[in-house]
Amino acid sequence: MATENPASFLDPALDRTSIAPESAIDRDQLVTWYRTMCLARTCDEKLGALYRQGKIVGAVYLAVGQEAICTGVVSLLQPDDYFSTVARGLAGWFLRGVEPKHVIARWLGRDVPPSHGRELGLFLADIEHHGIAPYHNGSMASWIPSGAGFALAFKVRKQPRVYVAFTGDGATSPGDFYEGLNFAAIHKLPLVVIVENNCFAYSTGNAAQMPVENVADRAPAFNIPAEVAFGNDIFEVRRVAKRAIDHARAGNGPYLVEFKTFRTRGHGEHDDMGYVDAGLREFWERRDPLRLFREYLAGAGGLGEAGVKAIDDECAASIEDAVAWAEAQPAPAPETVTDRLFAP
Amino acid sequence: MAVITYLDAISQGLRDEMRRDENVIVLGEDIAVFGGAFKVTRGFLEEFGADRVIDTPISESGFTGAACGAAVEGLRPVVEFQFADFIACAFDQIVNYAAKNYYRWGIPMPVVFRGPSGGGFRGGPYHSQNPEAWFTHVPGLKVVQPATPYDAKGLLVAAIRDNNPVIYLEHKHLYRRIKEEVPEDDYVVPIGVAEVKREGSDLTIVTYGAMVHESLAVAERLSREGAECEVVDLRSLSPLDRDAFLTSVRKTGRALVVHEAHLTGGFGGEVAAIIAEQAFDALDAPVTRVAALDVPSPFAAQLEDAMLPTEEKIYTAARDVLEY
Repeated sequence: MATENPASFLDPALDRTSIAPESAIDRDQLVTWYRTMCLARTCDEKLGALYRQGKIVGAVYLAVGQEAICTGVVSLLQPDDYFSTVARGLAGWFLRGVEPKHVIARWLGRDVPPSHGRELGLFLADIEHHGIAPYHNGSMASWIPSGAGFALAFKVRKQPRVYVAFTGDGATSPGDFYEGLNFAAIHKLPLVVIVENNCFAYSTGNAAQMPVENVADRAPAFNIPAEVAFGNDIFEVRRVAKRAIDHARAGNGPYLVEFKTFRTRGHGEHDDMGYVDAGLREFWERRDPLRLFREYLAGAGGLGEAGVKAIDDECAASIEDAVAWAEAQPAPAPETVTDRLFAP
Repeated sequence: MAVITYLDAISQGLRDEMRRDENVIVLGEDIAVFGGAFKVTRGFLEEFGADRVIDTPISESGFTGAACGAAVEGLRPVVEFQFADFIACAFDQIVNYAAKNYYRWGIPMPVVFRGPSGGGFRGGPYHSQNPEAWFTHVPGLKVVQPATPYDAKGLLVAAIRDNNPVIYLEHKHLYRRIKEEVPEDDYVVPIGVAEVKREGSDLTIVTYGAMVHESLAVAERLSREGAECEVVDLRSLSPLDRDAFLTSVRKTGRALVVHEAHLTGGFGGEVAAIIAEQAFDALDAPVTRVAALDVPSPFAAQLEDAMLPTEEKIYTAARDVLEY
């Protein structure tokens, strides 16, 4: 059984068990971010249940434990910025207007846009409505090069836009990570790479993946700035990501941020996480991003326990409605299988 | 109309499209300052600038992925692989990203991958391959392989204007060897349309790329011996113009399929299967294939000549089919 020492994974200087913003933040903003994270958590738990009930076939992959990163980063984007993430960034999709009912319908393989049953709920691209750019998932490194391409298009057209690639620790080993960042750094492209280091690439711990302590230690090869931060504090995520996004938008080239976090569910729901040490689980349980945010909001954030619970209840009801809607959507007709192979 | 080489026709098509549409950009190894290993993009940097003519690091997967992303955002990138052999390094981005993107999400990706392919000039195992069958097996990619200057220009223009990823395989051995009159003005050779390059009534030779020329030479030789061959140049392998060769085979009753790529798993097997399935009743002889031997491209002239399909091998096979 592989074990990870939490102390070596997370620099104690970055660690925290309670969170608070550096300066006052509008309460509506706080509520929006909390609701988004809570909705993602509730949706994920429901997806896990639908999988165990046999309603979602194949496999299902959840984002539980990593919600603060995508929420914090996407909250900083302009409407015409792009980002790419798999459903590990579910909250980021929601913050950009994707509705849970559509995500659930996609997991159920229903005939809903934009994929009409051709792609898992795990993957979503919808530039037109949500600014989520298409990627491929042969490996999560593969959208570093394509992200550089989107950023190249922004630069060629002299548009002050950025592309944010959310990826993982395991994705920093394939060549595409290097090829994409190398190209982006040479041309000073507005590419922000957010590495969600959640301790494991499927079952393989960091120590078996990389000879460096942090993914960010690889950045000097590209002569780009990089930071390591605690990814379960939405306020910290926003502080650090803002530096990265501002840097890229100003034409200074790519920026890498590594957020330390933890995937509290398996790689997919078929994975019992037998490879995770009990101590590591306990360590991160106390640092769950939704729990940290909830404690702040109910306390110093001023919403009170009742105010926060009202949001929790609203999310639970909304996911129940979403499941009902999704289950009522039609399955794709078999005769459409060869449709839409080529663009007109 | 000026007589120009196959290579100049490719350059002309590319330059015309870059003048016509500022979204067209080119990227690849040594294509800007150096003008490309084969000089297809000579003078492009000076005319279009470094934003549109980009020398890339040696990282095929990286710049292919970048081209794909830029294409989704509305640029129309034309990627040059210095040799088609090197496209293997970018295989994942092409087959798993470019090919599937529209099917997955309905988002178009207008990108062209140019691959200087083919042997016959002693390039050895890594500078001589014909990789078309790697890509015809992947739904979502268009694959074209021009044989003549006219088709080279017209298919390249069509590929650039297409809203899908197109693999454009240009044969290096045709670059400066093949010349013809090519219109200077704008025209398109539609993707997915074959052309009968020579009419005949006794035998259909279905071919594409460099082997069109060898097949035409064989047809002339056989004509002097009293047999008339019809030479069908597929031009596009995907989508495939089945009607073009099926119509011809139904007329002649005999089919010889010729390509420079390896025999086993080669595209000729697909053509032969379609003929067997759909024109069986019309056949007076077995469908026969002529292709490269199933070994890597060897360097020494004696070995490469033994490995490649040649005019002599095509002639012998054609005689066998005619005399069956």
